[in-house]
Amino acid sequence: MLWLWILIGVVALVALFAVVGYNRLVRLRNEVDTGWANIDVQLQRRADLIPNLVETVRAYAAHERGVFEEVTRARAALQQAGTPGTAADANEGLTIAIGRLFAVAEAYPELKASESFLQLHEDLTDTEDKISAARRYYNATVMRFNTAVQSIPWLLVASPLGFHAREFFSARGDTALPQVSFGY
Amino acid sequence: MTLQEQIRANRLKSAIVVFGFVLLLLVLAALIGFAFDISLGVIAVVGAVAYGIFALVRSRSMVSRLTGAQEVAPEAIRPLRRLVENVSIAAGLPVTPEVRIVEDAAPNAFAAGLRPQTSYVGVTTGLLATMPQRELEAVLAHEVSHIRNRDTYLMTMALVFAGVIALIADIGFRSIAYGGRSRRGGVIVLVLALVGFLLAPYAALLLRLSLSRRREFLADAGAAEMLNDPEAMALALRRLERNSTTIAYADASTAHLWVESPTDRLDSDRRGVLALSSLFNTHPPMQSRIEALEEAGGFRLPEELPSGESFGVEHGLVHA
Repeated sequence: MLWLWILIGVVALVALFAVVGYNRLVRLRNEVDTGWANIDVQLQRRADLIPNLVETVRAYAAHERGVFEEVTRARAALQQAGTPGTAADANEGLTIAIGRLFAVAEAYPELKASESFLQLHEDLTDTEDKISAARRYYNATVMRFNTAVQSIPWLLVASPLGFHAREFFSARGDTALPQVSFGY
Repeated sequence: MTLQEQIRANRLKSAIVVFGFVLLLLVLAALIGFAFDISLGVIAVVGAVAYGIFALVRSRSMVSRLTGAQEVAPEAIRPLRRLVENVSIAAGLPVTPEVRIVEDAAPNAFAAGLRPQTSYVGVTTGLLATMPQRELEAVLAHEVSHIRNRDTYLMTMALVFAGVIALIADIGFRSIAYGGRSRRGGVIVLVLALVGFLLAPYAALLLRLSLSRRREFLADAGAAEMLNDPEAMALALRRLERNSTTIAYADASTAHLWVESPTDRLDSDRRGVLALSSLFNTHPPMQSRIEALEEAGGFRLPEELPSGESFGVEHGLVHA
C-alpha cells in the first residue's frame, strides 16, 4: 500500500514538473516570436523608406542608374527573406547599397541640402537604431529559449514536441553577436 | 556575480520582502483579533485594504503633481522621444512610455505608472543639460527597466502597504488606549499588542526601503543588459554622483522613484555618519551601484568622466 502512495506521489511530482516546464517553453517561444515581430516591423519600415529615397536622389542624379538598381534589388531581397539569418544578410546588403547611394549623393550639394533628403536620412538613421535595439532584444530571447531547449531534460523531448532552437538575427561574418549575454 | 545572476537574486529578495509585508499585515490583524475581537481584526484589515486600493487608483495623477512633471508634445522633444523609443524596443516593451519634463536644474529621472501601457518617464531639464547621449540613454534604460520589471507598480504597492499598516497600527493603538471595556485578554497580550502597534509602521518603512534599494540594483543591471553597455550606466551614475545640485522637489514620498535619491544628500548631512542610517535610504550608495556594474562588466571607471556636449544642448532641447 505504501509503495502505491509513493508511486502516485512520484508520478504527480513528475507531472507537475512537466507542466511547469512545458509552460515555460511555450512562454519563451512566444517571447522569441514577439521579438521577431519587433524586428520585422522595423525592417518593413526601412524597406518602405527606400522607394522615396531612390526617387529623391533620382530627381537630382538621374543618370546614376546602377546604384538605383542595386538598392532596389537589395530591398527586394530583404522583403523576400524568410528566416532571421537570411533577413540579417539581406539587411546587411541593403545597408551596403544605401551606403553607396549616399556616397553618390555626396557629389550633389543641392540634393544634400534638400529638405526631403535630410528627412529621409534622419528617418533611415532612426530605423537603423531601432533595428539594432530590436535585435538586442530578439537575440536575448533566442539565447534564453535555445538554452532551455538544449538543456536536460528538454534536450530529449523538446524537438518531438515542436520546440526547435531558433536562429539569431545576425548576418554571416557578423561579430556583433551577444558576446556578453545577460538574457534573463 | 554576472548581471543575470544579480537579476535573479534581486527578484528572489523582492519576493521575500513582499512576503514580509503580507506577514506583517497578518500579525497586526491577529493582534487586534486577540486584544479585542476577531471580527474587529477582519474589519480593520478589510477597511485598510479598501483604502489601499483607492490610493492605488489615485497614484498616477498624484505622482505627476508631487514631482512637478509636465506633459510635453512629442514633436517638441523628438530626439529625446526617439531615444526612449529605442530603449523600449530593446526592453521588449509593448508600448513606448510617454515622456514628461520636470523643470529642475538637478539632473535626475523617474518612472511612474502601474502598467507599461499607462507608464511614463520623467526627466529633469538638468539631466538633459548634463548628460551626453550615451549616458542619457543608460539613464532612460534604467527607467524603462523599472517599468518592464513592474517596479513602479511594486513600489507604489509597497508605499500603499506601508500606509495601510500604519493605519491599522494606529487604529489598534488608539483602541487599546481609549478602548475601555471592549479589551479582552490579559495584561501580557495587551502589552504585546501595544509594542506590536508601535513598531509595525517602522518595520513596514524598513521593508519598503530595502525593497526600493533592491529594485535600483535590478534596474541598473537591466539597463546595462538592454544596451549591452554596463560602462554607460556606471558613467551616468558617476556623473550624477559628482553633480551636487539638489532637486527642488525633494520629497520623501516620491524619493524611491528617482534614478538618484533626491533626498539622501540632505539626509546624510543631517544624520552624520551613523552606520544605521543607510537602512533608511531609498537608494543604495552610488559607490556600491557603480561597483556592481564594474564587477559585472569587468571594467574600471576612469577617474576623468568623458567630456562632450550634452544631449539636450546638442539637440537644442535646453540651453547650455
